[in-house]
Amino acid sequence: MTPRANVDCVPCLLYCLSFAILINMEDLKKRISETMSFAITQIAELCSLEQLEGVRVAVLGRKGDFAQIAKMLGTVPPGDRAEIGQLLNDAKRQIESQFQSRKQSLERLQLQERLAQEWVDLTIPVSGVQAGHRHPVTIIQDELEELFMSMGFRVVDGPEIESEYNNFDALNIPAEHPARDMQDTFWLADGHLLRTHTSPVQVRALKKFGPPIRMVAPGRVFRNEEVDASHEHTFYQLEGMMVDRDISVAHLLHFMKALLSSVFGRDVEVRLRPGYFPFVEPGFELDIRCLVCSGVGCPVCKQSGWVELLPCGLVHPHVLQNCGVDPKEWNGFAFGLGLTRLAMMRYRIDDIRLLQSGDLRFLNQF
Amino acid sequence: MRFSYNWLRDLVAGLSLDANSLARQITMKTAECDGVYPVGVLLAQASAAMIVEAFSIPGSHNRRAVVDTERYGRRVVVCGAENCRAGVRTLYLPAGKKQIDNIESDGMLGSARELGVSDDHSGIAELWEGEGSLEPDWIIEIDNKSLTNRPDLWGHVGMAREVAAICGLKMSSPPRVDLSQFSAEQLVGSIDASGCFRYSAALVKNVHVVPSPLWLQYRLHSLGVSTINNVVDITNYVMCEIGQPMHAFDADLLRGEIQVRRARSGECLRALNGEDYSLGDDDFVIADGERAVALAGIIGGSETAITLQTRRVLFESACFLASSVRKTASRLRIRTEASMRFEKAQDPENTVVGLNRASSLLNSLDHGAELTAYSDKYVKELTCPKITFDLQWAAMKLGKEVSRDQVVHIFRALGFEVTDKGGTTLIVDVPSWRATKDISVPEDLVEEIGRIVGYASIDPVAPLIPSAPVTRNRDHDLQRDIRAAFAGQGFTEVSNYSFIGSAALAAFGFDSGEILEVVNPIDSGQGHLRPSLIPGIWANIIDNSRFFTSFRLFEIGKQYRRVQRTDVKEELQIAAAIYALEGDGVAGISELKRVATYIVPQMEVIPVDMPRPYEHPERAGLLICSGSEVGRLFELRPALVERGHAVLLEVGMDALKAVLPDAKMYSPLRRFPTSNFDLSIVGPDRQPVGTLAKQLYALGSAELVSLEFLGIYALPSNEKSVSFRLTLGAVDHTLATEEVNSARERIISGLQAAGYELRG
Repeated sequence: MTPRANVDCVPCLLYCLSFAILINMEDLKKRISETMSFAITQIAELCSLEQLEGVRVAVLGRKGDFAQIAKMLGTVPPGDRAEIGQLLNDAKRQIESQFQSRKQSLERLQLQERLAQEWVDLTIPVSGVQAGHRHPVTIIQDELEELFMSMGFRVVDGPEIESEYNNFDALNIPAEHPARDMQDTFWLADGHLLRTHTSPVQVRALKKFGPPIRMVAPGRVFRNEEVDASHEHTFYQLEGMMVDRDISVAHLLHFMKALLSSVFGRDVEVRLRPGYFPFVEPGFELDIRCLVCSGVGCPVCKQSGWVELLPCGLVHPHVLQNCGVDPKEWNGFAFGLGLTRLAMMRYRIDDIRLLQSGDLRFLNQF
Repeated sequence: MRFSYNWLRDLVAGLSLDANSLARQITMKTAECDGVYPVGVLLAQASAAMIVEAFSIPGSHNRRAVVDTERYGRRVVVCGAENCRAGVRTLYLPAGKKQIDNIESDGMLGSARELGVSDDHSGIAELWEGEGSLEPDWIIEIDNKSLTNRPDLWGHVGMAREVAAICGLKMSSPPRVDLSQFSAEQLVGSIDASGCFRYSAALVKNVHVVPSPLWLQYRLHSLGVSTINNVVDITNYVMCEIGQPMHAFDADLLRGEIQVRRARSGECLRALNGEDYSLGDDDFVIADGERAVALAGIIGGSETAITLQTRRVLFESACFLASSVRKTASRLRIRTEASMRFEKAQDPENTVVGLNRASSLLNSLDHGAELTAYSDKYVKELTCPKITFDLQWAAMKLGKEVSRDQVVHIFRALGFEVTDKGGTTLIVDVPSWRATKDISVPEDLVEEIGRIVGYASIDPVAPLIPSAPVTRNRDHDLQRDIRAAFAGQGFTEVSNYSFIGSAALAAFGFDSGEILEVVNPIDSGQGHLRPSLIPGIWANIIDNSRFFTSFRLFEIGKQYRRVQRTDVKEELQIAAAIYALEGDGVAGISELKRVATYIVPQMEVIPVDMPRPYEHPERAGLLICSGSEVGRLFELRPALVERGHAVLLEVGMDALKAVLPDAKMYSPLRRFPTSNFDLSIVGPDRQPVGTLAKQLYALGSAELVSLEFLGIYALPSNEKSVSFRLTLGAVDHTLATEEVNSARERIISGLQAAGYELRG
């Protein structure tokens, strides 16, 4: 499709003019001025980019009006050629400039029209597959693993089905020791048991890697307890241990304070008080200043200002010996964090059973 | 364990802390306190009072009594109790004036129960001659778990020693009687030293069995011990005082010498709680010449119990082996105040102290009673450890210096004997009450110093350790990636129990030979360990389908099984599911297969030969990667999911780890252009596309750069047309038209030779 075809009435006149044989200077000047004013009027009136381009080709193109006029320049007396040439160039420039500005404004209009047409309702609710969710205990566990790794603790694993030796005896809890009452145990027919804590991983890791070691062992543990809103037979712990030279209660306090301040996202005040766990000596219960009431007293801390958080202590020399480590040369600390308990504290979950329920109405909230 | 604040105050003169502050100190320095609560609150107003006269009121069952009170002077009260009679000493409570039977009654006389002194509500409380009024008390309740290693803290004397050490006060010992004045008559025969360290006994005659005085009942009642009669109450009082459990036999019902021996297999004992116990030779009994009369350290027999007719009493004060008491008590499921104490390993020195205290108390309660004989058999002596203690080492352990004087002072306050060896060394003698199980190594002594000094005085310090990169746990990294992939694809993580019931095992058709059984399950529905995550996931699907019409979930957890009869194996598994109520399930299968490629790269799925009982037989496949099977993709059988379709993916973590490439290697980008063409191959309706693709790869050989599946078009007469786009190329040059054409010809003729037709 040629642009000329789009311009209906304009060229007829111009063709007629171009075939005049006798060149009169004044005629020529008139022709230039008429062609120019005609083109400028057209440019101002036309509303489509295609028509506009048609006018440009018809007037300024290789076979356009001005090209025809330029051909006639040869017949113009040499003395007048410069004047006519000048006139012609000025006219071309003016038209070109008009054309460009009209083109830009038309393009702007066209873009605006397109944008207006492309309106979309962004408030329509999405359909299809929505994002999935990690389990709240997983979220806490991942966070703690990262945290401990940043403090130089390696993450180790141990089996959920354990030997009685690793779960109890190696940890200084012999058979018929009343401390076994603290941990009601699920037994398997062959004498194995389901680990009642993640502490046996201390034994495995010490035997496997030897001192010095800094390790944490997260995982599932089992206690033979009736289930209610605050008791579960299945829950998650994270065991931690550091064995090195000359490790003290002051070091334990340092790590606990750093850990808990990071977990709770603010400076946490901690205190130690005596606690009995056969695999540590001295053994402690670690309390934190209640984060809900800042220690003034509230139902969460039972008005005491402190919340019992985790058991810890210096590794008992018998445990080190049982793992083939010389307690004269090495010592360390150990602690046990309740991952389930931390998740419940973090998200204010008031019924522990929800965690193992598989109920997506609950799990999709994390 | 409950402690009476008043009792502790009796033992620690000058104790000025109130009960709540004392409980806080005990929590911080000794053992965890569970709570503090008041008892005998009404006693604050009560006054001892003598009934001067008491007359029946005509037409009423009440009496009008005139009482002389010690605090409030003479008062007139109306009282309905039968024992309201002149000459009785009782407790008067000012309760305001009110008209009863047209008489103004000013205050009241209360029963022991009304006063909170005991459970007795049979009449007004009666004070013994010379017995003063009683005071309100506070009970400090200590968590039993935190006393597991402290046999000495199962009595008030032990706790008083702690309180004295904490507060810097002195403890006074309760009065004793010198037993050596009595004839050491042969009361006790043979003692089996494998179950009993020491057996001490005393014989008392002319006993009058009556109720105990009010103060004694009040103490026992406040501690949760029921009161029975003066003899039994004395044994319980001694137990609460020094932690030594005692027993009283009616000496006239014993037939011959007392002995401690193993029970004969099948031997029976009717205990004081009315139960009959059948015993075996792991159980130790106290026996007379003919039969078992008590279960050693646990409970007495009913046949030789103290009754109102008892005139002669044999007090037993013995020390039994902790582990055998615990074994018998837990096997027979009896938990008594005695067994709880003995299983903590009691101090054998206390047997004699116990007899001593019992005699002393009996003297004050029953003036006619006369101790006539005493016997003490100490068959296995306790050796108390002597610990060499280095002060510098202790400071290193605590992370805090404590002065030599302070250390010595703390040890002595707690009853340890200390010998200063000069330098940084002390020799510490452990007292008998801490020597049975509690303290044996220097670390135990570090705790004594730390807790009394107070852990709050230790400042946190970062250890000086070489800085080194931590070894990452690659398994956890992988699990984290897998969880992120699933969560990113819309799956929510569930966590199911490790337990499964036999009904679920049967429903899923698991091989029972491999299933691990729990000996003591919570309930029969959780009697086994899960051999697969699938039943749990199935339950999640059924539960959640009540609330959602479509959802996706996954779990990473252990499955367990028996291997080779005696060994156990636990395997970490990944399971994921897509459920949709609508549709025919096909979209779910293809979607789950797509998601599987995020977990198992470069895998293919091939149909299974042997579908499992819970798998849809026409919709079950194996995930194959590098030639090994890593998991399964299947739809659950319609019988398991009645409404909608559930598609499951199961991958074994170990199998997956085995096929994941260790390191990735870059392949150079292709330098020469490729050419492509499409083929539509006609084959039988159920011809797997995967088989066709394999054939195309084989035929295309090295020149086939990639194969893109375009689609399937169903044709009439049980056939279909499968379209692929094949891209050909060479590493070292641009394929010429003739080369492309010849490869195309080769592939087409190969297909035709295999019996396929090609569509134009």
